[in-house]
Amino acid sequence: MTAIRFSNVGKRYPNGHDALKGLNFDLDSGELAFLTGHSGAGKSTLLKLIMLMERPSRGEVWVGEQDLARLPRKQIPYHRRHIGVVFQNHQLLFDRSVFDNVALPLQISGYDPVDAARRVRAALDKVGLLSREKLNPVTLSSGEQQRVGIARAIVHKPKLLLADEPTGNLDPALSEDIMHLFEQFNRIGTTVLIASHDLSLINRLHHRVLVLKDGRLVSDGG
Amino acid sequence: MAAKREQKRGAVQHRVGLGDRVRSWSRNHYRVSNQALARLLVTPLASLMTLAVLAIALALPAFIFSALKNLDQLTAGLETDPHISLYLEVGVAPERLDQLSRTLLLRDDLRSVELISPEKGLEDFRAYTRFDDLLEFFDENPLPAVIILMPSTREPDQLEAIQQEMAALPEVEEARLDMEWVRRLAAFMALAERGAWVLGGLLSLTVLLVVGNTVRMTIESRRDEILVSKLVGATDAWVRRPFLYSGLWYGLFGAVLAWLLAQLALALISEPVQALAALYLNGFVVHGLELSESSLLLAVGLLLGLGGAWLAVGRHLRDIEPG
Repeated sequence: MTAIRFSNVGKRYPNGHDALKGLNFDLDSGELAFLTGHSGAGKSTLLKLIMLMERPSRGEVWVGEQDLARLPRKQIPYHRRHIGVVFQNHQLLFDRSVFDNVALPLQISGYDPVDAARRVRAALDKVGLLSREKLNPVTLSSGEQQRVGIARAIVHKPKLLLADEPTGNLDPALSEDIMHLFEQFNRIGTTVLIASHDLSLINRLHHRVLVLKDGRLVSDGG
Repeated sequence: MAAKREQKRGAVQHRVGLGDRVRSWSRNHYRVSNQALARLLVTPLASLMTLAVLAIALALPAFIFSALKNLDQLTAGLETDPHISLYLEVGVAPERLDQLSRTLLLRDDLRSVELISPEKGLEDFRAYTRFDDLLEFFDENPLPAVIILMPSTREPDQLEAIQQEMAALPEVEEARLDMEWVRRLAAFMALAERGAWVLGGLLSLTVLLVVGNTVRMTIESRRDEILVSKLVGATDAWVRRPFLYSGLWYGLFGAVLAWLLAQLALALISEPVQALAALYLNGFVVHGLELSESSLLLAVGLLLGLGGAWLAVGRHLRDIEPG
């Protein structure tokens, strides 16, 4: 079964810049793939199309059984609830504790607070930060902050996990830890797509690699 | 694999069922309204300044409307007896006068008819004025006979109709309707009421804009939170809710303060107004805002607060989109 399908997708921004051109690829359920390329090659645009932060100018994007072009604006929030996202700058809120940051997606989806607390602690446990739940994320190291971001992305057990440069600001050892964390989630069935330009790390991990260059897919393989 | 995945999706949807959704919805409302209240209290001085502006804007029309209501009571007290004075031609025979006043007495639209003969008029003139020496200059009684009519109606139009009818009688030289001041007062009241509505409208707009602007600033200061919430699947309603509650609290507290201000103002003027009114008529009491008027003030404040927040939210939340 296909988790993500791009069919002849093009994205042209209002300023005339073509971020993506004639993009075709499938990502199967349960797969883990890296998305790489120079900066400006279209990695972030590709992830934004999956999240419906942008709409394609041409072609079709499917997520699971859903053609995203047919998804009305009102349904976008529910679409996003099926996806976990990890950002390079982790997008944590510094006006609340680690626990509350991770709990946000569950509050939004309307989970029972008791159930939510259990899931938040399970997610924090998975990223090794259970002891930090009461702290403000501003007091954590950047590696720890990134792991809080990952906990938030997986707390509602999404079928699809996206990551945009999740190791961008981290040293090599921490980066490898983070990647192993993604491999763990993939092992329990989550489809994972990671945009990264850390080629040496990607090459060590032996997964499928999609290479973008100037908005085109120039290589697809291990 | 596919079957397992489908099953998993089904389970997810089942977990957040209708009952759970309603519970989580009301839980969210409770939590969000509390948080909005807490945010108001985090910056007490700034919130108080905003509330003071709202309170004054709401108190002013409330005060003016209740002042008008009290004035209405005043004119109702004064308007009781409009009367028409018929000054009759000099030289009409006394029997004819009697006959005329009796005929008038039969009319349904007159409550009372009082005939004052020239002799009685002269007596009264002597008794009530210090100008009785003046009468020495006349050989005979210069005063005409007068009939004072009390119409049963108080409608200016009908009063005028009666007055014209009386003036047309051959025995009547002049029929004077003593109501000019009633008309002036009625016109003044109408003007004041119209003015109060215009002022009320302008000040309501002020409340709308002040709340809108305050909420807009709150939205700006919580931009990151809005972005992250939208990225993890927050609906527009979910994102809107805290700001609508902020507006609602502003409106409600503004109205409560306005109520206090208006009551205070009415209490302050109550004593001198009552002392003044006592010189003219008895039983005049300054009334404060009644329960229905107070509830109306609170409801208007609440709706204006909510409306102002709605305007700001509609205008600014769509601009904040991840991307």
